[in-house]
Amino acid sequence: MEPTRAIYWNVGHGVIAPMYLLVAAATAALAWGFARRLRVWRRGRPVDRLDHPWARAAEALRAALGQRAVLRAPRPGVPHALFLWSFAVLFAGTLLVMLQADLSEPLLGRTFLRGRLYLAFSAALDLAGLVALGGLAALLVRRVLLRGRLESRREDWGVHALLFAILVTGFLVEAVRIAATELGAAPALARWSPVGAALARTLPPMAADTASALHLALWWIHLALVLGFVAALPWTKLRHAVTTPLGRLFADRRPRGTLDTPDLEAEGATFGASRAVDLTWKDLFDADACTGCERCQRACPAHATGKPLSPLRVVREIGAAAATAPEASLLDAIGRDAIWSCTTCFACQDACPASVEHVRKVVDLRRHLALMEGEFPGDEVRTAAGNVEVSGNPFGFAPATRADWADGLDVSVAGDGRPADVLYFAGCYASFDRRNREVARSFVKVCNAAGVRVAILGKREGCCGEPIRKLGNEYLFQQSAQKVIDAIHASGAKQVVTTCAHCFGALSRDYLDLGLSPSVEHHTTFIARLAEAGRLWMDADAAPLDCTFHDSCYLGRYAGIYDAPRAVLAAAGARVVEMERSGADAACCGGGGGRILAEERLGSRINVARAEMARATGAPVVVAACPFCLSMLEDGLKAGGDGPRVKDLAEIVAERIGG
Amino acid sequence: MRILVCVKQVPDMAARFRPNGAGTWYGEEDLVFRMNEYDENAVEQAIQVKERLGGAPEVTALSIGPARVTEALRKALAMGCDRALHVPDDAAAERDPWQIASIIARVAQDRGFDLVLTGMQSQDRGSAQVGPFVAALLGFSCATTVVAFELGDGRVRVKRELEGGARSALEVALPAVVTCQLGLNVPRYPTLPNIMKAKKKPLDAVAPGGEPADARAATARFFEPRRRAAGQVIEGALDDVAARLATILKERASVA
Repeated sequence: MEPTRAIYWNVGHGVIAPMYLLVAAATAALAWGFARRLRVWRRGRPVDRLDHPWARAAEALRAALGQRAVLRAPRPGVPHALFLWSFAVLFAGTLLVMLQADLSEPLLGRTFLRGRLYLAFSAALDLAGLVALGGLAALLVRRVLLRGRLESRREDWGVHALLFAILVTGFLVEAVRIAATELGAAPALARWSPVGAALARTLPPMAADTASALHLALWWIHLALVLGFVAALPWTKLRHAVTTPLGRLFADRRPRGTLDTPDLEAEGATFGASRAVDLTWKDLFDADACTGCERCQRACPAHATGKPLSPLRVVREIGAAAATAPEASLLDAIGRDAIWSCTTCFACQDACPASVEHVRKVVDLRRHLALMEGEFPGDEVRTAAGNVEVSGNPFGFAPATRADWADGLDVSVAGDGRPADVLYFAGCYASFDRRNREVARSFVKVCNAAGVRVAILGKREGCCGEPIRKLGNEYLFQQSAQKVIDAIHASGAKQVVTTCAHCFGALSRDYLDLGLSPSVEHHTTFIARLAEAGRLWMDADAAPLDCTFHDSCYLGRYAGIYDAPRAVLAAAGARVVEMERSGADAACCGGGGGRILAEERLGSRINVARAEMARATGAPVVVAACPFCLSMLEDGLKAGGDGPRVKDLAEIVAERIGG
Repeated sequence: MRILVCVKQVPDMAARFRPNGAGTWYGEEDLVFRMNEYDENAVEQAIQVKERLGGAPEVTALSIGPARVTEALRKALAMGCDRALHVPDDAAAERDPWQIASIIARVAQDRGFDLVLTGMQSQDRGSAQVGPFVAALLGFSCATTVVAFELGDGRVRVKRELEGGARSALEVALPAVVTCQLGLNVPRYPTLPNIMKAKKKPLDAVAPGGEPADARAATARFFEPRRRAAGQVIEGALDDVAARLATILKERASVA
């Protein structure tokens, strides 16, 4: 006899009608639930997140089935992925059963779950059930072990119980059936249901009608639980099974960190967000895509140093407000101190497996505070903004002295008629900050050594506006940006290089919307190319240099530049000892999000926390590639007594070429 | 009620100032300009009075100078002034306080102001005379260097800052000229809607009303003080710093 099994064994085909009625009811509950959520999401402002629909769908499918983001934290990630994959197999198996039993067999008289396919089907589902149980058990153990550290609500335990019950009753239904039909009559077949068969063997012997009644009862219970799962989807955290992949579908496809560039002259417009309804529908949706996994909060440097910010809480407050008080002030619910504490380091968003866009929300809230209420995180920031407005730098130095750092160096000033290969946009820190002027000088030396002719904007250079933008003052940002763009265009430069990760982000990404034409590069990749092209002769045999490299948020997570600086360090003969958190997981120095201009009044200091990670490597030198990072880390290391020195990548290279 | 706020646009003080061609004032090359800090407090005070009185008072900002001073006036409008008057005068920077005060007084004469607010001094010339001169010319009462301000019953109650941190409280009858000290208030940062609104508020050029009064003082020469030897910064651990300072004091300053 060809191996197969009778579908609807014991329960009979009579159940089809009531079963589908129940399925319809569960589906209706599902649809109703999501329709209610949809009403909440639609309270947000419009934003187009459905361009390139096929590419979006493919990315969403890949993300959901690939589980890559989930697996980045392996302890919860591996069991979750195993559970999801096996649950998907079980779901597919159930669909196959439905296809045969309720469609192909009654309508066409054809069956396909037989023979080898049936054996494979049977074994696959059995094993999938086992793996799903294992994954679920691992997650349960983790949740119990992390009690007090991982928030567990009644809903979390409830969802665990439901999923367990579904899997266990599934196996029980199978076991009773196998005990009655296969163990004795077809032991060879039972081997292809190893878990069900093993369970069947442990069942006490029972009379045929007892077995039949028990099977029927279990079958209905299992069905009810499964339909309960379907109906519960929109109403519990299980909704993430739908909303998380959808969140990926609706993801922002622009270069990472892109912010909207509003037309500030628009008549009667309000700017930024102070209420849920001021945010986009995707922001409100995000709250439903969030699973509460807390990875954002764990990655957040502000949260880690005792500030009142939790990216998770921001998302949840927005979700709560959207559902119950869409016109109420989010600023009060989230708290201004929390909003100002963000360093826009992107660690939360990078860690989020649900594609939640935390940073944009924070900037939107700040835009309201800055543009509509004229607020700053402190008086020192107000002064700095005033200085940017008047003097084109946050320190308030005279713009006429901006190029003094270049005295005695072989650089031309744009417009002086000398030819140049690149325009070096030094930025405010390299122009005025005593320590960072050394970086600018080193970079020029490196360029000179490679035969690259460097021009600067001189007095016409001004603040790129990046910190100001992150502080929400879009007006001053656009004003500053326009001046910079005009100056760069007037210089006729084809290629711009900057040594500042923040200038780099502004010029290469933010200015796209404002019409900057030349290409913009950061000095890490620029020097890496020079080194690779053999244009830099570095004394790799010089005394070996042990160092650690601090990934700037604006280079790493924002722009994906991780390898270039390390390649340069390798070419310079340096050995890099990685910090406890490096690459995409690197911790912020505390200077992003405009915080470089602000006093850190709440909690402990972010730069000290990062400096200690650097110190812990034991390396005598910490290499940075951003003036904010350099300043913050130097400051942070001072706090703990003698420690490693901080140097910019350009300084390391300049030393090694003997410049 | 009508309030006049007199604002001056001054160079940012971080600049390196160089004498102009005539050597009688600084040259403007490479300078950037902003509203005189003390005048920001005056504008803020005027707006606060307006807000406290339910928006009733009309606040007029006035500035004398070349075209660039309209930037300062726009800022005053963005902070909340209702209208602005610009007296175009390319020679304003070199005019003495008496001339400036007489131009202000002429413009203010028939406009029915009850209160004139201005900074206690300008950051660049620092004469602190314009306010009192305006009061004298208009026949108004006057209070200078105020650090607290309260308006009621046709009178202004102010606190003045005196030497050595002392204060004096006084009450002056309207109409009055009040000059504002830093710290009187925190000048607001204009919101974007107000910046946009300010672009549409009236900013009118007004004639100075005849030849300026004769100057009572003339600047003979603008110069940098003779350079002294650079200071010395002692860095290092506290004990070392103290020890080295002691050595230096013994050696050079003959401290026993």
